[in-house]
Amino acid sequence: MDYLLHILIMVAIYSIVSMSLNVLAGYTGLLSVSHAAFYGIGAYNTALLALNAGLPFWINIPAGIILSGAIAFLIAWPSLRTYDDYFVITTFAFQIIVFSILNNWVSFTGGPLGLPGIPQPEIFGIKISSHVSFLIFVITFAALTYFLLDRLMGSPFGRILKAIREDEIFTTSLGKDVMKFKLTAFIIGASIASISGSLYAYYISFIDPTSFTIMESIFILSIVIIGGAGNLKGSIVGSALLIFIPEVLRFVGMPNSIAANMRQIFYGLLLVLFMMFRPQGILGEFAFGKEGAVKTEGNKDA
Amino acid sequence: MFNQLLINSIIAGSTYTLIALSFSLIYSTTKFFHFAHGAVYTFCPYFAYLFTIILGMPLFISIPLAIVLSAIVGILTELVIYKPLRQKGTTPLILLLASLGIYIVLQNIISMTFGDDTKTLRSGIVKEGLEFLGARITPIQIAIIIVSMLLLIGCRALMRYTKMGTAMRAVASDPDLAVISGINSDRVILFTFAIGSALAGVAAILVSFDIDMTPTMGMNALMMGVVAVIIGGVGSIPGAALGGFLLAFAQNFGVWKISSQWQDAIAFIILLLFLLYRPYGFFGKKIRKVEV
Repeated sequence: MDYLLHILIMVAIYSIVSMSLNVLAGYTGLLSVSHAAFYGIGAYNTALLALNAGLPFWINIPAGIILSGAIAFLIAWPSLRTYDDYFVITTFAFQIIVFSILNNWVSFTGGPLGLPGIPQPEIFGIKISSHVSFLIFVITFAALTYFLLDRLMGSPFGRILKAIREDEIFTTSLGKDVMKFKLTAFIIGASIASISGSLYAYYISFIDPTSFTIMESIFILSIVIIGGAGNLKGSIVGSALLIFIPEVLRFVGMPNSIAANMRQIFYGLLLVLFMMFRPQGILGEFAFGKEGAVKTEGNKDA
Repeated sequence: MFNQLLINSIIAGSTYTLIALSFSLIYSTTKFFHFAHGAVYTFCPYFAYLFTIILGMPLFISIPLAIVLSAIVGILTELVIYKPLRQKGTTPLILLLASLGIYIVLQNIISMTFGDDTKTLRSGIVKEGLEFLGARITPIQIAIIIVSMLLLIGCRALMRYTKMGTAMRAVASDPDLAVISGINSDRVILFTFAIGSALAGVAAILVSFDIDMTPTMGMNALMMGVVAVIIGGVGSIPGAALGGFLLAFAQNFGVWKISSQWQDAIAFIILLLFLLYRPYGFFGKKIRKVEV
């Protein structure tokens, strides 16, 4: 039973991070491979504050949101000046730099040994320690994220993001400050990713840099793309699919060493097959660059 | 110390140049980001390991065989995945996502088959390097420098003086026009994948003789190549060499002051600076979409 609850908790955590990436990748068309970095920033922020200052979660999570948003603001400045594959490379670079810092700045982040013993969060003096209570805790955040982002993406703001995704020059010609909207989307995406990082740190109670690698970023991006870009429900479906199905492999009696590889092969293969036969994903409404006249033209010139 | 750093930079620069060259050939012809190139790179030394260490074949058979096989892996990615996708008229971003998927699949196949532990192609005792201007260099490192330079010149000649090279440049500069003037662009792209994958294989084998190999070595190597290509300018062969050496010098001389774990970070900070201030690199044409 605890095992099932564990999977559900992970699905909820990944739903939050993939919904936050969906704002960038799905709604705005910015294919970022740096989300594990923001997820990691949230996790490390929470872990360090909880371990060193003993602060409660209702301070740590907002602090992570602010920190992650501020870092996103700094990184958005170089990366949003680039397009398409160059944007992917800039975010890739940022991801590698964050990983290097987490891995090499040993005195601050604990380096490869990680940070063990993160205390459980407390609400009104009650420790959230059992799987059931943690599931409720995490799902509350996931639901909040969903309703917040759903409202936001249905608002005029969200519609402008979609317009940017479809045709950037046209949106500019309507008098919209495209750069400002992209920047806002980037900051929103990064801030919300940090929430899921904080939750992950609290749940696992031990974090190390290997949870926030480039492969993790690609995994989160795969969830968004396979679930459906530009659809928040798609991200939830994608998280469930990509976390549940590989677990089945355990029951087939596959040894643990191979199971990790098989899990990655599974989503890698799924990503390739979706790109070949259904590039918009399960519930998505948008396939990358399909309609964007600007993008296709831009790429010819590259 | 200075001489040793200089030699280390030249060695690293030679391998970066070779990887940059192999990536640049494919990227400038097909215009999409072939992430799976990193896995093709990794395959080559593992094939060589399989033939030499496990099956006990002599090196002069196993190395060419491994290079041919990794070229075949590259060709297969094009034939099975990219070509059908291109024929559907997809965008470079979809091809990029597909190539990420292929990279993940191939890398995990390698780590399942051979294990995640570090392996090396060296057999027998490690010989002490030769003394050269107060620095040490091993024979394999000299081979790295010579082979890279020869292949660099060879590629330049291929692109300049052969019919296939001209066709490759034609497809790179305008695919539609190339098709109109009777060039079979699919065949040219296939050839590019073969050459690019083989070059990556050579680079990977040299690195595995010098240092060692792990299933994840490809992604890092590929990214160093990409950084070199962006510094030097996309589509330029001298640019790839300049970028490769500049990157290697920055990394190796950076180690003088900061500890060596930060080499990756140094590379990507240089990349970010270039993308900010000179996104078309040293020799590249200005990219319109970056300017919009």
